[in-house]
Parts: sequence; C-alpha cells; structure tokens
Amino acid sequence: MDALINRIRGIAKDLLREGKVDVVIGFEEGTIPFHSRPCFVRSPDEADRLIWNSFCENNLATYVVKRNERMGIVAKGCDTRALLELIKERQVIRDQIYIIGVPCEGMIDRVRVEAELRNRSIQTVEVREGTFLIMGKDFEKELEIKEFLYPSCQVCTRKNPVIYDELVGEEVEESVGETYPDIESFEGLSDEKRWQYFSEEMSRCIRCYACRNACPLCYCTECFVDASNPQWIGKSIDESDTALFHIMRAFHLAGRCVECGACERACPLGIDIRKLNRKLSKDVLALFNYKAGISLDEVAPLATYRPDDSEAFILEP
Amino acid sequence: MKNPYFPLPVRIENVLVETEDKNIKTFTLSFIHKEDKEQFRYRPGQFAELTVFGKGEAPFGMASSPTQPGFLEFSISKVGVVTNALHQMSEGEILGIRGPFGNGYPLETFKGKNVVLIGGGFGFSTLRALTDYMIEGTNREEFKKITVIYGARRPGFLLYKSDLETWQNRSDIQVFLTVDQDDIGWHGKVGTVSVVAREVAPDAENTYALVCGPPAMIKYTLPVLKELGFPNERIFLSLEMRMKCGIGKCGRCNIGSKYVCQDGPVFSYAEILNLTSDDIF
Amino acid sequence: MKAKTIRKKDISGFLDRLIQAYRVYAPVMQNGYFLFKTIKSGSEASLNYHNTKMSPKDILFPQSEVLFRYQLDKPGVEIDMPAQDERNLVIFGIRPCDVRGIQALDNVFSKNPKDPYFEERRSKTVIVGLGCKETHNGCFCTTVGGGPCADDGSDLFLIDIGDEYLIRIISDKGEVLLKEEDLPDAETQKITAAAEVAEKAQEALRPCVEVQGSEDILTQRFNDPVWDVISEKCIGCGVCTYLCPTCHCFDICDEAVNKEGKGIRIWDSCQYPLFTRLASGLNPRDTVGKRMRQRIMHKFVYFPDEQGMLGCTGCGRCVIECPVNLDIREVLNILLRTGAAR
Repeated sequence: MDALINRIRGIAKDLLREGKVDVVIGFEEGTIPFHSRPCFVRSPDEADRLIWNSFCENNLATYVVKRNERMGIVAKGCDTRALLELIKERQVIRDQIYIIGVPCEGMIDRVRVEAELRNRSIQTVEVREGTFLIMGKDFEKELEIKEFLYPSCQVCTRKNPVIYDELVGEEVEESVGETYPDIESFEGLSDEKRWQYFSEEMSRCIRCYACRNACPLCYCTECFVDASNPQWIGKSIDESDTALFHIMRAFHLAGRCVECGACERACPLGIDIRKLNRKLSKDVLALFNYKAGISLDEVAPLATYRPDDSEAFILEP
Repeated sequence: MKNPYFPLPVRIENVLVETEDKNIKTFTLSFIHKEDKEQFRYRPGQFAELTVFGKGEAPFGMASSPTQPGFLEFSISKVGVVTNALHQMSEGEILGIRGPFGNGYPLETFKGKNVVLIGGGFGFSTLRALTDYMIEGTNREEFKKITVIYGARRPGFLLYKSDLETWQNRSDIQVFLTVDQDDIGWHGKVGTVSVVAREVAPDAENTYALVCGPPAMIKYTLPVLKELGFPNERIFLSLEMRMKCGIGKCGRCNIGSKYVCQDGPVFSYAEILNLTSDDIF
Repeated sequence: MKAKTIRKKDISGFLDRLIQAYRVYAPVMQNGYFLFKTIKSGSEASLNYHNTKMSPKDILFPQSEVLFRYQLDKPGVEIDMPAQDERNLVIFGIRPCDVRGIQALDNVFSKNPKDPYFEERRSKTVIVGLGCKETHNGCFCTTVGGGPCADDGSDLFLIDIGDEYLIRIISDKGEVLLKEEDLPDAETQKITAAAEVAEKAQEALRPCVEVQGSEDILTQRFNDPVWDVISEKCIGCGVCTYLCPTCHCFDICDEAVNKEGKGIRIWDSCQYPLFTRLASGLNPRDTVGKRMRQRIMHKFVYFPDEQGMLGCTGCGRCVIECPVNLDIREVLNILLRTGAAR
C-alpha cells in the first residue's frame, strides 16, 4: 500500500510541478476512523496529503463537472466509469483531466462494521493484508476485509480503471460476466413482497437528497424535484411523492448509472437505493446490450435511437 | 393563540394593468371577514404574504397607504409560479393573505424632517404607499419638504400614473419623473434615476433619503447621495431576500444576525454596512 | 436536589406504565441504527446506545407537517387546522446535546409570534434525559459549553451507575412521572457514584477548540477566501442540517387537487443551492463556500447574537454522517486560529 501511495504522490507532484494541472483531486486522511475523504491539492508540497486505502469510498468524478481547472484525479474502477460517462455527456473534456487510475479491491463498509461491533466505540483502525484491526477502549477485533465490503463493491465487475492516463498498482482479478443475481432473486418474489420491501425502504426517506448530490451523474443545475413550473412532485415525505422521486431519479439514470454505490453510502438512513438502479441497468443490458461506464464509443441507449431497438413494450403490452 | 400560518381570505376587487408589457398588475384586495380587516393594521413599508391557493405564497410590499382603509393594493410582477398564477386571476376570485410583516418605514424618525423618496421601476410600490400616507390630510404637517424622484425604463413602465398626476398637481410635494428611454408624448426628464438625483441635488441637511429599486439603481444612487452629503444613518433601503414564513422562523431571510422579515425589510444603510452578510446588491 | 434510583431491568416496566397515560418516544433499534419512535411497549426501547441517527427534533418539529387544509368550493375559502394528538408526550432517554437542541428550538419557535404547532407539542412534553457514560468519535459537547451529563433542560435525568440509574428530579413535571412508581430515594453513595460518572465523562471529552471569542474572529474572517478552501469537498447534500438538533430552516408548500388543498411545512436547508435564489434569478449565496460560511456564522455568531446561546450542541452527527467527512470541529480550528487553511 505504501508504494502505491508514494506513486500517487509522486505523480501528483510531477503534474503540479510541470504545470500540467491546476489541481489534483484525491483522497486524504479523515478525522474519524473508517473515513478517508476528498482533498484538493494545488501545490507539490501539499501532495503528501494524498493517501490510498480501503476507506476511499467517495466517487471523485462528481467534482470534475463545471470545474474550469485542469485536473488530475485519483480514480478507482467506479470513479473512472463515471468519468467515462461524463466525458460522453460532454460534462468534462477528456483533455481537461489526467486520470491516475487505481485498481480497487473494494471499500470497507463501516456501517456493517459498527453493527458487527454492536455499536461499541471505535478508537482506531489499522488495515493489513486482507484484514483490518479495530481497537476500542476495552476491546480489539480483527475482521476480514472481504467479508465487510460495501454491497456495491461485492458485485463490482470493473474493479480496474476503464480509462486512465496512468495506472498505479497491479491490476486485480475481475469477476467474469455481467450478472445480476441479487436482482434476479428479488424479481422472483411476489408483487406484494416486492412492494412491501420498497414501501418500507421509502418510508424512511427524509428527502435530504444526499443520494442525488453524491451521484456523479446527477449534475443538473435544477433538479426536477426543485422545479416549480411545472411542479412534478410534492416535496414532503408523503409516501407516494417520495417513491416517485426515487423512481424518477432511477429512470433519469437508466443506462447512465455506473453502480458505484455513492448514493446509498451517502444516505444517512441506509436506504437500499441502488436496487432500483441495478434493476434498470439489468433491463438496459437486456434490451439494448449496453452497460454504462465501459466504452467511450457507445452512445447511451436512452440518448439515441436505433431501428432495431426492442419494441416489445408497444407490441406486447 | 393566533395562528400566524393561516392565510386570511381576501377577494380581488380590481385588477389594473400598470405597464405596457402587461407584466406588472396592481391588485386591489378586500377582506372577506370584517374582523380580519379590523385586525390588519399596517405601516407603509411593511409587507404581506399572498397565497394563491393551489400554487403557493409569495411576499409583496403593501402598495397602498393605511390611510385608505377598506382595501389593500399590491403591485405584482409576473416572474414565477405564484405571480404567473396571480396574473391569470380576475375580479371576484379569492386569495389568502398573511401579515402585516416587517418593520415598515421609521415614520417617527422622519417627523419634522425633509424626506426624499427615490424609486426605480417596480421597487416604487412601498414608496408610493409611504408618499400617499405622508401627504394625507393632517399627516402632511408632520413632515417638512417631500421630494419624489421616480424613474422607469420607458414611460409605459411607470406605475401608479393617476397618483403621479395627483401629486404633480399639488404644491406641497415636488415630483421628478424620469425614463431611461424617451418616447413620443413624454415631457418629463430622460436619464437614469441616479443621474436625475444628482441633478435635483436635494439638500442633505435634516433630510432622510429612501431608496428602493433594482440592485443596479441602488448601486449608482448611493454614491450620489454620499456626494450630496447624506450620512449612512439617513439613507434607508428596503432589502430583498427570499422570504417564506414572514415571522423569523424558517431561516431563509437570515442576514447577519437579523431576519429581513422581522428586523427589516427597511434598514438604514449604516445598519446594512454593519451586517456581516452575503452580496445582496 | 431530589433523586431516586431505578434498576435497569425495571425500566421496561416503568415505560409500560407510562405508555398508559403518555405518548412515549424512546430510542428504538431499526435497520442497524437507533431512532426515536413512539413505543407500544417498554421492551421496544433501548438505552444502550450512543445516539440516534436523526436528532429527536422531529418529535416537536416534524419533517413534514400539514399546517392547514382548505376548501375552495364555497364563496370564499374555508381553512382549518388538522387535529392534534391530545395526549402529553414523554421523550425518554434523550442525550444532553439533544436536550440543548430542544432549548435552541424553544428560542426560535416560542418567540413571538409563537408557533402554535410547536407550542402545542412542547407544552405537553416531559423530557427524561440520559447522561452519557462514554462518548463517541464525533462528540464535542464540552467544546460548546455542554457536557455528557449536563441536566439543564431535562425534567428528569438518568445517570448510569451500574445495575441502576440514578434519577435526578429536575422539575415538577418530571416528578409527576414518578408519582405512581414506588422508587427508593437515592442513597448518598449512589448520588456520589453518579457525580463521579458525570465528572469522568466530562474529563474524558476535552474541548477541541476554544470557542470563547469566536464571534469576533469569525466576523473578522467573513471575507477570507479560506471559506472556499474549507468547503471545496462539500457536495451540498444537506445531511448535516437535516440531522442537526438545532437546524430549523423550513419551506412552506401548497399542494392541491381540484378545490381541496393543504399548506405543508417541510424541512429545508441553507446548504441547498436554491435556498436563497430570488425570483429574479439573483442568488446571494451562489457558491458552496458562501453557504458553508452561512451555516458556521449562523451557529456561532448570528444565533448566539439573537438568542444568547450557541446554535451548535456538539452532538457530532454532522461529523459522523457527512459523506465527505467535512468536520465542523476541524473547520472551527482552522478559522479560529489565525493560520491559513490547509
């Protein structure tokens, strides 16, 4: 890990020293255990703030939109997938960013760790090879990283950067094939059960929009929720308005969502937001043979039309 | 306990199109319930929240003087959801009103002094209410010299044309009207409000200046007043911030340690300079 | 001050009896975290927790609340207020930082003109506070003048002394709750034990920054570019304000179907870009730096100026839940020391 960090810092220093970028966006140490956080480095001596570990859970691609600077960006698999889509949607110019790609083995799910420790107070965390050691006031526990990855990381099929200017570290083994076993098993449930699950999840939503703000592909200056003329949905926590918000946002992301999971990690109430997005990704794959965040040349299916697009929904209601 | 969130029902008695582009209309409203009318006592410079049922609420300065009882006038510019809906409404329809809110102009301070009212475009509404108040009957004796400097883009954008005429026909109030763009049939001045203010050069001694208008107008008029010798304590502005509840609770109009809806919207320029605040002009 | 003791295993029964006469809100574990919920039986509650995910402000100031309903089919309009729950309510097991939060909201909503919705509930509320034996990573109540066992604002206050809680009886309202219970008066050694727990917890949580004099320094630094640097990583998600026990900004919406509608109050946040946008399109706070500055200034300068108390209780929710770990303690440290930001 240290060699990797030194490489990242070295690249950042070079980029800044040579004036190739105005800022390097990466991760730095957080103020509490299990948190690394975004940082913006503008001079070579600041570059030593940059780190890389199993807590680098934010999707940094969200910061490149509407930024006039030339940027270096430390990007893991899902971050690069988001960057790729943003490039296609012309929210950032390819030449404007220098992508420092980092193959990723997944980030540690601190919420599940806290639950595992039954809310005992955590003082420090030390990440080792394949495990992490947690130390509290009167206890110590070592856990396997693989058992405590975020749900999005557990099913990730593109851990290696899909686009980069420079790759840091060894490529990791990818899971093969685009599958959605979690969605398939959910689809197997009855209508009532699925609706019950969805309603229960929605009943917790407090309409804070953290999910939307954390998402790199949600970059509209005026979101449909804020539109008042016409007003599309109500703003209160009325169940049907809330459900409609999540459904509409999921549809706006259909074929664009790269399943990074930033939305559900930002949600303070742990709502299963990604399920809807995964379902739509699965449908887009089946209907259009397309997955977001893979190819710079393929246009997102909902942004274009092909004569051979499926018309089943019209012909077979 | 009185519920400050309940809108009181009012009826639209009259709708007057004020401007040539029809984007500003003055609505005359009357209370449906007598007790509501009796309780609604206000001062010029205060505002109310008007509810268009089904659309929402928005704050508007009172455009009529409290010396004209029985009705309230509001001048509404068509800019958003509520105002667009309001512009579609006609006589007989029902609105809601909450208020009066805000501090209003400090009338006690102006007594025995000269008052210069400088307004631009749509911002003139509350100054019109104040002018009508000051010249009404015995009120006129409380104030010394009254000067009105009012400008709009073109003659067709001047509001309250009948009031302006009435004022111009009086000898106890000086009125200077100006437009940015000349037009056929216009016999008043041509030039921006700030330029005309410099021309008129009101005497600063014992005088209060009230400025109300778009940010650009205020920006250029303030230096003129300083040149003429007006100290910051004797220049008053009406601040505009997004407001919602009108009672200092929803936090939206918070500026420095003040709430525009309660401590304002009228502030002296000295007070405004003291407020640590975001760019409001 | 009078004090009694109650065994931890008797709490559940006590709550069962309270539920007969009151709406009782207590910390309930759901989906892996705690929230204040109305309980139907004492066994649902758990006092073995750090703090709830959302602050209990939503008991007195709900996220969405119908202020009035109206009918437009008669000449004029008929407006009425929805019915309110008649019963008194008990907030059981609330932490001192959150009690502080309620005091802050009292200052806002009980100031003239009074907010009838908040007042209705507040006047019927009995607060049973729970002292903290230990604190968690985000806590900083001692920095802002509070403490893990500060009992002001509570009607009864529980302190964990092992198998039992010491109950400090702070007010008459609180004493009424214990009337039917046959609880022993607290023995001197238990009162001492509780005081020791309180002192130990207070000692363990050192203030992380000197907040005295912050009003002047923050005001001086109002136009400092440091605000933009500090807030660069903020994504404007609003979670900090929604979870904060003192944040009270709200919006009022009108929702109607045909001739029937309602005015609804919902939470809003100064961190949202459109919060201060005027109809003309002008926005006084159009950057993240300005919005973050507003939040800090409001909590540490404007609110104390208006209300005589800090607008931050040190509960630490914004620290723990911020997706990008923008730590308010760190922000204060940077601003209140004269050095430049990182």
